[in-house]
Amino acid sequence: MGTYTAPTDQDLWQITEQLWESYLDPEGGRPLLIGPPSATGLDISAAVSVTGSWNGHVVLECSMAASRAAAAAMLGIGAEDVAEADIADALGEMANVIGGGVKSLLPGECALSLPHVVAAAGHRRIWPAVTEVCRLHGSWGDEPVTVSVLEQREELERGRRE
Amino acid sequence: VKVLIADDSRVMRQIVIRTLRQAGFRDLELIEAADGRQGYDTALAEQPDLIISDWNMPEMSGLEFLRSLRGSGSAIPFGFVTTEGTPEMRTTAESAGAMFLITKPFTAETFRDVLEPILA
Repeated sequence: MGTYTAPTDQDLWQITEQLWESYLDPEGGRPLLIGPPSATGLDISAAVSVTGSWNGHVVLECSMAASRAAAAAMLGIGAEDVAEADIADALGEMANVIGGGVKSLLPGECALSLPHVVAAAGHRRIWPAVTEVCRLHGSWGDEPVTVSVLEQREELERGRRE
Repeated sequence: VKVLIADDSRVMRQIVIRTLRQAGFRDLELIEAADGRQGYDTALAEQPDLIISDWNMPEMSGLEFLRSLRGSGSAIPFGFVTTEGTPEMRTTAESAGAMFLITKPFTAETFRDVLEPILA
């Protein structure tokens, strides 16, 4: 692969902020804010994989409380009425939208996978053989939210050789 | 006016329905499909006036849904609502017979601008 400008933290903010403004906080009363890096409380993750001229993953992680609030906001219902299936659906769709935004910044032709969601309290998901390209540390109503773009390491090595 | 919304995400189908209302389209008969295959079967059975479909779906993608529909001789107006809006995808969508491609995240204004000429 030739050289390209990798997505930046700022790009990721712009894409994620647009998602929040459109679907999670259209009234502007509960925006996503820049938060401290959080290693705990990220109990659920949703990811889409990118395959093609660029290979990697776009990963959204947050607390269970944030995921429930997100599903409630997207469905326009109270948090107490959110079903477990709605949480996975909402998080997956959020990862899908952010992934689509990231994909638009990548070189060449790539395909986006369907989202996959994993809820595992106390266990961070491990992504082997990747390099973090950019990351967003957010806070939504005091709940942690992170988004990261992870590039498959082989691609980086091949890029350096070409 | 009958509109079929095909998306594997129930959450996104609800957002599309809410956005249609916010865009001022209130007197629609809305029917839903959870993937492209179900969308295809529902479209043939219900003969909606417009189909709004996701692109990436299990069973049958939105593009396969559209191609199958056109292959069956149906000319029901069809458009995509998808996270991906590269020029290549827009060209592919148009070539297959799509009237529009709206990228997620979308707003009620976008829906109004794109759909008013079709639903008016």
